[in-house]
Amino acid sequence: MPEERITRRSEPAPQGPCVIGQQIEIRGSVTGAEDLVVQGRVEGTISLKRHLTIEPTGVVEADVEVHDLTVQGEMRGDITAAQSVSINANAKVIGNIRAPRVILEDGARFRGSVDMEVKLPEGLNVSRK
Amino acid sequence: MPDPVTIVGEHTRISGNIEGDEDLRIKGRVDGKIRLSRTLYVEEGGVVVADLEVRVAVVSGVMVGNIQASELVHITENGRMVGDISAPRVILVDGAAFRGRVEMGESDSRSEPPRRGAAPPPPRSPAPPSRSTAPPPPRSPAPPPRPVHAASGPPPPQPPRIVDKKKLVKKG
Amino acid sequence: MSTVIGSSIVVDGEVRGEEDLIVQGTVKGKIALKEHLTVEKGGVIEADIETATVTVSGKVTGNIVATDKVEIRADGRMIGDIKSPRILIADGAAFKGSVDMEV
Repeated sequence: MPEERITRRSEPAPQGPCVIGQQIEIRGSVTGAEDLVVQGRVEGTISLKRHLTIEPTGVVEADVEVHDLTVQGEMRGDITAAQSVSINANAKVIGNIRAPRVILEDGARFRGSVDMEVKLPEGLNVSRK
Repeated sequence: MPDPVTIVGEHTRISGNIEGDEDLRIKGRVDGKIRLSRTLYVEEGGVVVADLEVRVAVVSGVMVGNIQASELVHITENGRMVGDISAPRVILVDGAAFRGRVEMGESDSRSEPPRRGAAPPPPRSPAPPSRSTAPPPPRSPAPPPRPVHAASGPPPPQPPRIVDKKKLVKKG
Repeated sequence: MSTVIGSSIVVDGEVRGEEDLIVQGTVKGKIALKEHLTVEKGGVIEADIETATVTVSGKVTGNIVATDKVEIRADGRMIGDIKSPRILIADGAAFKGSVDMEV
């Protein structure tokens, strides 16, 4: 799969996050140091130092490494977030999440594993039957 | 007349099996296995090391074990859980701590994601029927690669095992 | 503060605690308390019991060791041995077993 770099929209938009519009489809790796909003489709990998938002029309099939993530659309892939992952009520996520904070709203559809740091009381044996 | 509720006080420890048809609030400690046709509350300060088969589980304390709920699992901001969840609705509130798998019984045309990390998959208590990778239950037509977000099929099949009757002790 | 085991609950295992316990349901196994056990009418216990005091209005099958007092009320029925410094068996209660008041 050819690597494709995402470029800023060339229209004179006001300051705001980079937006991948609804009719856009990207296959490849997306990296950046600013916020990103996905309304279209991304397949591949996403690596951001800031906030990734997958809007209701967005579909991401990628492994994602970000600072925070908000999913309102659909996402398939593994997620690693430095701060938080928030899956909203109409979202659908399939994948494994590793983050210090994970929020799953009522109505969200999720399948996968969640790995948050869980501090258990002393002496509690965590090996489950 | 309020609904009956069983309360395990904070200075009480139960180890063994608990079964019943009323709500159960745990402020102390329970080790073993819990089957309820109603709601289990692991209160703040409560510790449950057990596999659960319940209708609803609300975790505000410490929960270690797998939860199979026919309706809902809710981990509140004080809740800490390690284990797998199988339920049609799962809520993780900001502040909750959780490690484990979540299975909402939504079958999908794709296979499950591979487990990440070195941790071996935990052994499962009786697997709920919705966990299998068998063909999806009949619902809105299985879509091609671009699944439709708006699709909401019929509610997932309920696990058939919720206890209705307690084991009766022979009455003298 | 006490623990209440409701009428539709069946516990099969050990119950230990430092607070009162009220049993309206069923407990099988073992009970070890530092305070008061109440077996309400309708409550069923198939367990050996160690406690400070116990009041039985339900059914108990098992041995009781109490450090203070055992009371079997008129609705109570017990099969088992009792070891306690004070024992009260009410008129109407049913009891079968031995009694040791540590005399």
